[in-house]
This record gives sequence, structure tokens and C-alpha cells, in this order.
Amino acid sequence: MGPLIPNGVITGDWDFVIALLIGIAFGFILEASGFSSSRNIAGVFYGYNFVVLRVFFTAVIVAMTGLLFFDYFGWIELDKIFILPTYLTPMIVGSIIMGFGFLLGGFCPGTSYTAIAIGKLDGIVFTIGLFLGIFLFSETFPLFKDFYYSGFLGNVTLTDVTGIPAAWFAFAFTVIALASFWFTMIIEKHIRKKITEYKF
Amino acid sequence: MNRNYILLTILMLALATGTLFLKKTPNYNEIKPQKLLWEIIQPTRYVTTDQVAKMIINKDQTLELVDVRDTKSYEKFSLSGAINVPLDSIAATSNQDYFGLPGIKVVFYSNDDIAADEAWVLTRRLGYKDTYVMKGGLNCWIRTVIQPQQPSEDAPYTEFEKYHFRKGAQIYFTGANIEQGSAGKSKVSIRRKKKKAVAAGGC
Amino acid sequence: MKNINSNKNRPHYINPYFGGVLLGLLVILTVYITGRGLGASGAVKSAVVTTADAIVPIHAHTNPYYSKFISSDKSPMYNWLVFESLGIFFGGLLSGVIFRRVKKIRVERSPKITNKTRLTAALIGGILFGIGSQFGRGCSSGAALSGSATFSFGGVIVMLVLFGTGYAIAGLFKKLWI
Repeated sequence: MGPLIPNGVITGDWDFVIALLIGIAFGFILEASGFSSSRNIAGVFYGYNFVVLRVFFTAVIVAMTGLLFFDYFGWIELDKIFILPTYLTPMIVGSIIMGFGFLLGGFCPGTSYTAIAIGKLDGIVFTIGLFLGIFLFSETFPLFKDFYYSGFLGNVTLTDVTGIPAAWFAFAFTVIALASFWFTMIIEKHIRKKITEYKF
Repeated sequence: MNRNYILLTILMLALATGTLFLKKTPNYNEIKPQKLLWEIIQPTRYVTTDQVAKMIINKDQTLELVDVRDTKSYEKFSLSGAINVPLDSIAATSNQDYFGLPGIKVVFYSNDDIAADEAWVLTRRLGYKDTYVMKGGLNCWIRTVIQPQQPSEDAPYTEFEKYHFRKGAQIYFTGANIEQGSAGKSKVSIRRKKKKAVAAGGC
Repeated sequence: MKNINSNKNRPHYINPYFGGVLLGLLVILTVYITGRGLGASGAVKSAVVTTADAIVPIHAHTNPYYSKFISSDKSPMYNWLVFESLGIFFGGLLSGVIFRRVKKIRVERSPKITNKTRLTAALIGGILFGIGSQFGRGCSSGAALSGSATFSFGGVIVMLVLFGTGYAIAGLFKKLWI
């Protein structure tokens, strides 16, 4: 029966109401976990705050496992859901640029919206930067239009590319995630004073 | 707190391991026997040869003609644009992509309508809707479209209309047939279910 | 800034694993209802397109990137991601109110740098992230999180390269944070 809207179970008019509600939930979870602070976010790269690792990785493994169970119970048709299209080279380049942006700004778009909500000027400035960046991209787009569309593999899943069933990926991610959680907890124990100091 | 984390870790690991053992059974939307019997006797599952002729002439994109005879007969003669799925392989997994396409009307035909009827029942059981049978099959096609019978003088006006249409269709199809005989089979555009995402998405 | 070491004034956050579970469940729910994952950068893109269309419509229609998102009957802002992003703002506001983090406008920075440095870095960071997110067809929420959760190949690539790059270059920007 799922996904509900593409299958017509819920009419398209509810689309935006649902979007709003889901966004509210998303923003709440982000802010409540500490993502409205750029110093918390950047912490994962320096080892003084692992909230990004914990929230992000947990979300990925919960979602992966959950979707597989939903598919098994017939509650959702995995062939009907949107799969991000893969444009290999531009995506890699884009991700590298985003990596720099992430380290410099300490935010990503979603978290910057929550930062604005609680009054963080650096969040506001980051979002303005996003606007300018996308504007810059669009204006210079004709220069690299071909590159932008290069490396198209289709809306491929991991299974399409590797032939390995999705469940194996879910399992592998889970093992790696859980291992990293325990590992970072041990790291924190040995640097005890940093825990209280570096939560912003 | 550590004990809780250990329990949660074990739980998460168990769930993830569980996903490895989920076996996907084919998702056939089986129809109930009574419903099937009821639908079998409905005349609405038949389409006439005139209707099929009209759809072909109008280049109706929603029409998918399926020739359920064996490949040899199909290659000897078939309706334009028809694909060949022999009756004995209707249920094969590789052929399922031809059915269940949204908005597409599948019309089965054979020489009579016996084989086409069987194909209809089979695919209906598998849960595919929007399927039809061309009444009378190719034999009727020949009698109505290729060699239409002139109605007798006291026949109602509608019979003359039908005859008029069929004469036009005859020219359309036999004219095309002559070309087809020498040039070989015309290219059939086969529609299959693509693995495409129905929902829109993005960043 | 001197309150950092005091336990009393430490901001209260929910357990990150709990937050992660909630987020994961939210992703499942979103996919179940809408057939797509979460996202965030798309809203800013819609804003850019709308602005361009309003100020320089002819240029916007001829530019091959803007024109993709301009439709004749409705504004580009009439878009799932825009409403979802609006929701993110309000959700963040709600949480901020509950946990008493909504305060006057302030700059959050490491005590070792100035406000100006932090804001400049934020601006440049935003510009880079904006550019990168267009090439990447998404940001960390849309491509990395939702993409990976739905097992998309591109999503996992973005996730690995984004965070991988972050770790690789962390040393360059250490002064900004620690």
C-alpha cells in the first residue's frame, strides 16, 4: 500500500501539509539533538563531539533496516520510491566542495534552518551563503553544463551496481556503525574532561 | 547506562541480521475464485474486431495487442503492432513486464478466442486488470475486416455503417499487408515495465 | 563564554542515539507516505530560481539551469521541499523554545577567533556548500542521509566523499573550531 501518495491512497492536496509536518518533526529532532550549533557539528571531525556520527549513522541504519522490513511485510513497494540519480563524477566533485563548505561553515542546509530559528547569526549568514552559492552556480552553469550531466548511471541502487542484496548493506552498515559508536565512547572515556567542555 | 546500550546494540544487530533472512515471495495479487468466475461471464471483457481495427487505425497508444499463438504462426501473420507471448509462457516471470502497465489495455487474440480466453483467465488470476479478448480471434478478423460481408438489403442502417467502416479498414490493412509481405515484419515497439521511480524527489 | 565549564548552564540535548532512532523512523515514515526522502537544499534553490524569475525573467527563462525549474502555471516555491524546509525552521524553533535555546541573535564561535572570522567562514562555507549541493544533487540530508537510507548508490557516494573530505581537510581549519 505504500508509498501512500504515489499510490493514490492519500490525495496530492495533502502533499504540502504533510511536507510541513514532516519538516517540523525533522527540525525538532535536529535541534533537540544539538545540530543547531556549528561547534557541535564540527566536533565530529576533531573528536570532541560525536553527535553527528551518532545521530546520522543511527538514522541511516534504522531507516535501512526498517525499510527492508516494511518491504518484506508488503507495506511498501521499494520499486516505487524515489532513488537519487547517480551522476558519478559531478557528485564526487560536489561532495568534495560540500566537504569544504561543511568544515568552513559548520552547517549543512537543514541544520542551518534550525540555527536561524534559535538566533544564530552564523546560521543566517551560512544560509545567505547557500543562496549566493546556488545563484553563482546557476549563472555559470552554461560553462560546465556537460560536466554536470556526465557520469550518469541512472537511478541506481547499491544492489543495481554491485549485485549484492540490499540486506547485506544494511547489515554491514549496522555493524560498522555500532562498532564506531562503541569505539568513540571508549575514546571519550579516556578524554573525560572534554565531554563537559565541548558541548555547545 | 552502559547496560542499556549493550542491550540496544544487541537488538539492532539482531534486527539487521534478520534482514538477511527475509525471503521475498512474489507478490501476486491473487483474485478470489468467485470473483474470477463472475468476471469470466461478463461480456465487457470482449472487444470486437471493429474496435481493435479502430484503435489500430487511430494509433491508440494505450493498446497493447498480444498474440498468444506459437511463434511460427505469429511470424506468418499477425496484427500490426502486436507482440508475441505464446500461451504456454504467459505466466513466465520474464513475460510479466508486458502486463500490468498503468493505463495500457492488453488485448489477447488467437485464431479463435479459445487460447486468448485462456490467456485472459491466467493473467486475471495473476491479478492483472485491464485485459481483454478479441472476440472471434483472427478468424473473425478475416471475416470482418479483411473480407467484410456486404449486408443484405433489408439490414438495419447500422449494419451499413459497420460495413462502410470495415471497407475502409480493409483498404488500410490489406494495403499495409501487401507492403509488409515484401519488406518483412514491421518494427514492433515493445513496451515493458521500466524500473522507474514514480515519486519525484531531490535534495 | 565563561559558562562553558559549568554543568548547570550546559545546554540540554536529547540522547543522540535516541535522536538518531527518531530520525531514522522519520525517514521511514516520509518514504512510506511520500515515496521520497527528506531534503533541505532544494528549498534554497527554489528561492534562487523564484528570485531570478522575478527580477530578470527573460534571463531566467533562457538560462538552462533556472529554466528547468520554472513552470508556467505555478511558482517554483510551490514545491514539497520548500514546505518541508519551512517545517524544519518551525520544528527547530519549537525545540529551541522548549529547551530554552532561543535567545537574542548571537554568533557562535571558538573563543580563539573573532566574530568577523567566523562569519566570513560561514559565508564562504555556505557559498561552497551551495555550489557543491547542486553538483551533488542534494546535501547531507537529501543525498547522504535519505539517499543512503534508500540504498541509492549516489547517496552513499555523497555520504562517503562528503565526510571523507571533511576528515581529510579538518587539519586545515582547526583554528576555526578548537
